[in-house]
Amino acid sequence: MGFKLWTNSGRKLHQAVPALADQFVKGEIGRRDFLQTVAWLGVAAASARAFAGAVSPVPAAAQEAPKKGGSLRYASAVMEINDPMLVTWTQASNVFRNSLEYLTMVDEDNITQPLLAASWDPSADLTSWRFKLRPGVKWSNGDAFTTEDVAFNINRWIAPTSKSSNKSAFSAIKQVEVHSDLEFSLHLSRPVLAIPEMFYAYTCPIVHRKFEEQGGVWSKNPIGTGPYTMVEFGVGQKATFRRREGYWGPAPYLDEIRYLDLGTEVSASIQALAAGQVDLITAINTTDIDVVKRLPNATLLSGRAAQTICIRMQVDQKPFDDIRVRKAMVLAADNQKLLDIGYRGLGVVAENHHVAPFQPEYFKLPPVARDVAKAKALLAEAGYKDGLDVTLVLGNTQGRWEQDTAQVLQQQVAEAGIRMKLNVLPSSEFWPIWDKVPFGLTFWAHRPLAVMTLDLAYRGGGSWNESHYKNPEFDTALNKATGIVDPKQRAVAMEAVERILQDDAVMVQPYWGDRYGAASTKVRGFRLHPSTYQSLRQTWLA
Amino acid sequence: MARMILARLGEVVLVMLAVSFLVYLVLEHNAADVAVKVLGQYSTAEQRALWLAENGYNAPFIERYGIWLGHFVTGRWGSSTHYRELVIDLLPPYLRQTAILAGTSFAIIVPLSFVLGIAAGVREGSLADRVISFVSVGTTSIPEFASAVFLSAIFVFWLGILPGASTMTSGFAWAELVLPVMVIVLYDFGYVARMVRASMAEVMTQPFIRTALMKGASPARIVFRHALRNALVAPITVIMLQIPWLLSGVIVVEVFFAYKGFGTLLYQACLNSDVALIEACAMVSVLVIVSTQVISDLLYTLLNPRIRFGAGAQGRG
Amino acid sequence: MSFLRALRRPGPAVGFAIVVLWLGCAAFAGWLAPHDPLKSQIPLQFPLDRAPDGGHFWLGTDLLGRDILSRMIFGARTVIVWAGLSTVSAYIVGIVSGLLAGFYRGWVDRLLSFVANVVLSFPVLVLYILIIVTLGASGLNIVLAVTFASAPAIFRIVRALAIDIASRDFVSAAITQGESAVRIMLVDILPNATGPLIVDACLRLGYTAITIGALGFLGLGLPPPTPDWGGMVNEGRGMAMVFPHLVVFPCIAISSLMLGLSLLADGLREASRAGSHG
Repeated sequence: MGFKLWTNSGRKLHQAVPALADQFVKGEIGRRDFLQTVAWLGVAAASARAFAGAVSPVPAAAQEAPKKGGSLRYASAVMEINDPMLVTWTQASNVFRNSLEYLTMVDEDNITQPLLAASWDPSADLTSWRFKLRPGVKWSNGDAFTTEDVAFNINRWIAPTSKSSNKSAFSAIKQVEVHSDLEFSLHLSRPVLAIPEMFYAYTCPIVHRKFEEQGGVWSKNPIGTGPYTMVEFGVGQKATFRRREGYWGPAPYLDEIRYLDLGTEVSASIQALAAGQVDLITAINTTDIDVVKRLPNATLLSGRAAQTICIRMQVDQKPFDDIRVRKAMVLAADNQKLLDIGYRGLGVVAENHHVAPFQPEYFKLPPVARDVAKAKALLAEAGYKDGLDVTLVLGNTQGRWEQDTAQVLQQQVAEAGIRMKLNVLPSSEFWPIWDKVPFGLTFWAHRPLAVMTLDLAYRGGGSWNESHYKNPEFDTALNKATGIVDPKQRAVAMEAVERILQDDAVMVQPYWGDRYGAASTKVRGFRLHPSTYQSLRQTWLA
Repeated sequence: MARMILARLGEVVLVMLAVSFLVYLVLEHNAADVAVKVLGQYSTAEQRALWLAENGYNAPFIERYGIWLGHFVTGRWGSSTHYRELVIDLLPPYLRQTAILAGTSFAIIVPLSFVLGIAAGVREGSLADRVISFVSVGTTSIPEFASAVFLSAIFVFWLGILPGASTMTSGFAWAELVLPVMVIVLYDFGYVARMVRASMAEVMTQPFIRTALMKGASPARIVFRHALRNALVAPITVIMLQIPWLLSGVIVVEVFFAYKGFGTLLYQACLNSDVALIEACAMVSVLVIVSTQVISDLLYTLLNPRIRFGAGAQGRG
Repeated sequence: MSFLRALRRPGPAVGFAIVVLWLGCAAFAGWLAPHDPLKSQIPLQFPLDRAPDGGHFWLGTDLLGRDILSRMIFGARTVIVWAGLSTVSAYIVGIVSGLLAGFYRGWVDRLLSFVANVVLSFPVLVLYILIIVTLGASGLNIVLAVTFASAPAIFRIVRALAIDIASRDFVSAAITQGESAVRIMLVDILPNATGPLIVDACLRLGYTAITIGALGFLGLGLPPPTPDWGGMVNEGRGMAMVFPHLVVFPCIAISSLMLGLSLLADGLREASRAGSHG
């Protein structure tokens, strides 16, 4: 093997790396798993890619020469940005992503790259991580970027009074130890492999250390380390960013980025694209695909993402506190048909345990089979011989396909005697109650690791545990899986996790829907990111 | 005359007061709901209680209403929870946009329906009359969202000569106004044309018209000198009374074309439970309607000589 | 009498036929519809494509695979029931208040007229938005909003008619004879007002149907999966370019109903005018 692997920090390779390299060469783990895992362990992505390329070359795509300049018009919701760690929509993060940066960056191939953190080295047992920050980074107000900023941010995420979802995501962090202006260590209460990747969650940008002192509203005081400054901001209207001098890294191509809020109807954005009034729409529905394909001045963007909807039941509310009722609901559903009709078949069937087949730690369980007779029997056993009346609450936060899928499910469970009514709320009315209703449909965005979602949603006491699920057995199994480096061993540990969640019949989680977007043919260097974290650093206009 | 105007204005004030009470009652009688809507999903019970106390919501309803009314008439319209701006700053550009849309539509509807209505009414039962009547009835039967879909399909996607969204992202563009105006005109001209036609037809049967015809006066002269004045009275009031209708219809058109006008604002406010904004929008739309009713009454009085000069006076030719 | 006379002309006759057609669909939807309007079969079939059970999807299927023809037929029931209910409710309120105001005059009239003016100053959609923000979207709330919005206009018609009729001799005679006010209003006044009211009713039913369609279009109407013409247009308009049948047929349905009612109303108005002139 002519190619060697080296780390971002220059230090020794983590002890698990050679074994992973070996597995990759033997074909036991795939290219993606290999690249993703060694990146977490601090290996430089370039060396890993070169190594992987030597083993199994991927043909390079033809390259045009990028042009500098121009103003990109991006059709997107422009939401309020007060405190980045409290935002609940990824769209909001895409707006501030031009000015605020993260410690790391996860690209469209799910490989974690250094950004504000230049390198990281985990201890052998993965409970201690030493980070080195990039030198020479300055805030847009001239201040130097140091570990003081990082410590300020991490500590406010995990503070007892923190209302951020980061609090439970980073619950394993015991302490942030600052060594110098550019070096700090994280000490964890249990081993966590994907810490570097978790730092790219959309609620984790690094804000200036004086953020709270200066009022705590970012849109009024948009200081950042990123290459753009925000020159205009109007909630529900527009946001404009211009490239600034003094950025630490290579200057991006676009001079200006304009976010235009065209309302909640995607068809208005598509019509605007057709007329050349906008250049980019990053979230369109499956129903818009046919139209986009027909437009001569637009291209369809697509990508696979671990995004899904959970039709979840609160396990401590009647009638769902009886596991027979929940099992009946799950058995009456036909996930494949829900995918085929509710999402036009554009995705992958799911198995009600929120781990996708294309996520690295997936363990293949036998497929979930529909059984209406058994569902009816279970209902009768639970005391609902004449059927059950329930109301499903949903908010169509991502589009009408949520309601479409619900309607198909409504028909399916009717065959088992479950009379399901739909209560469709405007999305702003849905958000205040999304985790409070006993029976609701919630959209879950992609996270590169299934364990990140499982942590938030199904661990006892997780910030976004909407189903009030509390199973110590599950928590233990999850802890075990989170600490394992080897993807194959991790998958084996995940079998227990998946099986427990599936057996407890917490929800109908029917499919993983692919992502779609549309761009003008002038746009280059743009790819859909599975988590909907859209960065425009590599984008240029022809 | 002056007395009449003052009396009408007095009525307007009373109506607005009643409206304001109704609006405030409907939206804010339940203080707890308001707190949730303003503070959002992450607010705790303590935060809400604090906000309610700070903003005077623990006072009895009538007192709250009085204070709100006092604020409202002095221009303190509160803050939009969705747009994060003072409502009084937020509204004017959107109102202006809708005024442009409505104004342009009217500028086309009035002459169009008058020409068609007169052409139809002058010779009742003629081919022209039948065709125009049929077209008028037909177009008013097609709801605005339906014609918006059809016109979009034709002009945006098939012919490709008009933009599909009217967001005015690069400043004001007349091309983006064409489709919304077309939809509104298409829906509305028929109704007005039929009113004009009915009025014309009625007038044409009047004895003095028939006399003029017998005396050999040309039809055109008759139309312009004699019939029109008398025929105008009903249609003008009809046109003024189209405005309240427009304020409803404009919501559908603006939402369809993403036109940033008053209709879209109200629609967004509704979806976001933006209480302060809804209150202001409701009050503004009511004010517009009430004003048009007053103006319509005045115009009717001015144009109808019988009322102006007392009963018994003949219409002057 | 004037009704039958009205039907002699082609316009009103066609209108009547259309209205009867949709009423028939509404009443006999279960028998007329070839498929279950809620059942998902094969999505996005074009008109005349074959159905799995051997029949045809005469007008194609929608995004969720539901037969469009069946949804249109059941949609007629939805529209006519809710528009009808709203109109009837508005009429009850309008007639009662109009009779009271027109007969008693005085402070009753002033109060009721004032209330009517207040309500008339709201655009219908604004009124509905106020209701939906507080009470939520549902069929009953649509009825409430439309009743509010329509009653004042009916009130004014009935009031004017009541004033006119109440001034006539036979009514004064009835009063001196000691007949109760209610009896006078119902027996003497109301039957003479039916002419203009029926014309208004036809048109109002149509406008209400359109309003319900517009609400469905804005996503503020009846909850899914109720077949609703406006909702069908809303669901289909994103794909109308490629699958025009998704929106064309519901638009034709709602337009034809409105057209039918307009033609019928026109005919009735003409007939009653000819009747009073002749």
